[in-house]
Amino acid sequence: MTTAPPAAGAPPAAGGQAWRKHAVTLAFLGPALLLLGVWIVYPTVRTMLRSFFDRDGSAFVGIDNYEDIFTNEVIFRAIRNNALWVLIVPALVTAIGLVFAVLTERVAWRIAFRTAVFMPMAISLFAAGVIWRVMDQQDPDRGAINATIGVVKDAIDPPGSLSNAFASTPALEGDASRGLVLRRALEPGDVALLGLTGIPPGQVPGGAEQAADPGPGEGIRGVVWRDFKPGGGTPGKVEPGELGLPDVTVVLRDAAGKKVDSTQTGPDGAFAFDDLEPGSYRAGIGKATFAKPFAGVSWLGPNLITPALIFAYIWVWAGFAMVVIAAGLAAIPRDVLEAARTDGASEWQTFRRVTVPLLAPVLSVVFITMLINVLKVFDIVLAVAPGSVQDDANVIALAMWRTSFGGVNDFGLGSAIAVLLFLLVLPILALNIKRFRTEAS
Amino acid sequence: MAAVAFEDVSKVYADGTTAVSGLDLEIRDSEFMVLVGPSGCGKTTALRMAAGLEEISSGAVRIGERVVNHVPSRDRDIAMVFQSYALYPHLSVYENIAFGLRVKKVKKDELDRRILEAARILDLEPFLKRKPRALSGGQRQRVAMGRAIVRQPQAFLMDEPLSNLDAKLRVQMRGEISRIQRNLRVTTLYVTHDQVEAMTMGDRVAVMRKGELQQVASPQELYDRPVNLFVAGFIGSPAMNLLEATVARTNGGLSAQAGSQSIVLDEGVLSARPGLAAYEGRPVILGIRPEDLEDTALAGDTPSDRRLRGTVELREALGSELIVHLAVDARPAVTEDVRELAEDTDAVVVQELEEGPARATVVGRFGARSKVQEGETVEVSVDTRALHFFDPDSGAGIYESDTTKGVTR
Repeated sequence: MTTAPPAAGAPPAAGGQAWRKHAVTLAFLGPALLLLGVWIVYPTVRTMLRSFFDRDGSAFVGIDNYEDIFTNEVIFRAIRNNALWVLIVPALVTAIGLVFAVLTERVAWRIAFRTAVFMPMAISLFAAGVIWRVMDQQDPDRGAINATIGVVKDAIDPPGSLSNAFASTPALEGDASRGLVLRRALEPGDVALLGLTGIPPGQVPGGAEQAADPGPGEGIRGVVWRDFKPGGGTPGKVEPGELGLPDVTVVLRDAAGKKVDSTQTGPDGAFAFDDLEPGSYRAGIGKATFAKPFAGVSWLGPNLITPALIFAYIWVWAGFAMVVIAAGLAAIPRDVLEAARTDGASEWQTFRRVTVPLLAPVLSVVFITMLINVLKVFDIVLAVAPGSVQDDANVIALAMWRTSFGGVNDFGLGSAIAVLLFLLVLPILALNIKRFRTEAS
Repeated sequence: MAAVAFEDVSKVYADGTTAVSGLDLEIRDSEFMVLVGPSGCGKTTALRMAAGLEEISSGAVRIGERVVNHVPSRDRDIAMVFQSYALYPHLSVYENIAFGLRVKKVKKDELDRRILEAARILDLEPFLKRKPRALSGGQRQRVAMGRAIVRQPQAFLMDEPLSNLDAKLRVQMRGEISRIQRNLRVTTLYVTHDQVEAMTMGDRVAVMRKGELQQVASPQELYDRPVNLFVAGFIGSPAMNLLEATVARTNGGLSAQAGSQSIVLDEGVLSARPGLAAYEGRPVILGIRPEDLEDTALAGDTPSDRRLRGTVELREALGSELIVHLAVDARPAVTEDVRELAEDTDAVVVQELEEGPARATVVGRFGARSKVQEGETVEVSVDTRALHFFDPDSGAGIYESDTTKGVTR
């Protein structure tokens, strides 16, 4: 162009100039436009169109897919679950972040604490989900959450020594939840044989000796023993090789059901009640002996899966909220807070009337960010919820994925769900853009 | 209203830095006390200890009858005005002023009445609905004042409240704050580094240096009888000229010999400073304020033993007066205090002082009609009634005969 002879005249030269200008603009914008077009614009438009076609894309079905979203029980539950997420998570994450940020501002080990709280952000959400899948296991021996609860629960309300035992013969009536009682009424001089079985060898109390049939005596005598011998034996009969059960509390009641006495069994399982008035008595073992240890809460079951997921999600994001809010907190001028204190405000009044209003822009950033994140929540649900409860744990993004790829392979319905999600995020984005505008002005 | 008293108050920071040591100062009921000193002298720390924003390491701070060392700021019943104003940016002017009353749950009509009253005093009525960011610096300063006034506290604590204003506004607000304080008669502790503010506003002025109180006195007393070289150099602008001199007996009377210059000591000077007689034949530091120097051509007939001779190095015409820098054949006084004052301003000056040139620069404040030109050698009349003398070793002012440190309170 620069070598063009001047004789060519002004108009072609000016045209060349304009063309050149456009070429430069295009060269700079081109790569970005191309990438945006291929990966954002085209898929968006295509998904929108696809949502009006049936599962294999062969027939136009109008808004049928959208009707399906609200009539299909599984997908509708996903929308309801997601609504719960939106109601709870952004508010809770912002509140917890604020509390952490304010509290850690004054502690000596601030950096260490903040690093620890922020750490989950460094893990991928999917990996965090795997961690929680393990932590949430029902068996206290495997799931850390239930193990922790179990330690506390068993300390307050300890399990019985013979939690799995049951009666070896129908001579004992009742069950573990009520305690066992000898069916036959006893009189002084009688023998009470309280045979139990179903006790694994590992649960036989230490120090147990060969069970001994006490034989008749002055008062009521008896034995509590493990009425089981490898290879058989006769139920209801004390035989060699069968162990007595020590330290079992045996309770004696009179005919009216009133407690008369109680005693502990010896190493051979024997016990005795002496000095009894003549009359009719019943002997039994209380329910405390059979109390089961903590069995674990079913976090991953259909009822608690969403709370468990929300907890895990908050664990991941609280650090983010804390760090952002702490940065906002550090930007508040010290003397404004000092002014509030000299103005007579208590620490709480200073916090509520000065700190929080000054933090409002930061808090709304965190809240809106979390709102968008929560609408799109996907990976943690997929990772934590076992397949069997994914219908109960379902959220919109997961429903979209499962409908499209997870076996259903209905791309029409899947696309419709994707469009719905897009429409839900739009107003929040608009809100965010409006906020940017007011901040810029 | 109540008196505020510092009783042997010290502040030592965790890293061992002493900000304030053994401060004893009483601000009387309804008094306007100005705490002045160069930056880093501990004046703001002292104020913040009174406000309850800084812990007190030792000693006691009293507001009224109450020792407030462990009373939280909010219960001290003081109002503070900050250098940055520290207005609440999210609240309107009205709410800014109302804040202290709202947290105390003052009734609505009472609150409204008091705020409108304060707004009237401060001419803030048109701005009550505005946010602080929509106000000018002077208006923000007035809002900060309003916030203090409306609480009707025991004491005002002001931390350089005018230093963020431009020069003209500062003069105006200086007058306004003084007027308000006089009308309300609230005990006030006012911190500033500006000695003009200190002199014009304070009932009394306390000068601090390196955490230690130097002198507490009325502005005039501070100017006339500075207790030591530091106060002498700090108060007054331009600063007092300090020269090395010897007290000698000539012609039956005493005179001060500075280099080749000799200035006679009047009966008046000697009777005001009986201690000076003991310095006969010994070195002293001679202090002459610039305003006590005058072009002999304007001063009329001045005897030759009341004159200095010097070469004009610099001439600054201010219209109303003429500031003249003269090179005089005399040694400038170099003391710890002087060096420090110089360090505050200029490193080159320090170097010159260290090398100890035989020629001192003396600053004079001449009448506007003086015709002196740069490079000219001129005769300068000295008002010998207003000479100052200091001990070269201790830096203390020489006043009474029996004491080397004439502390005046």
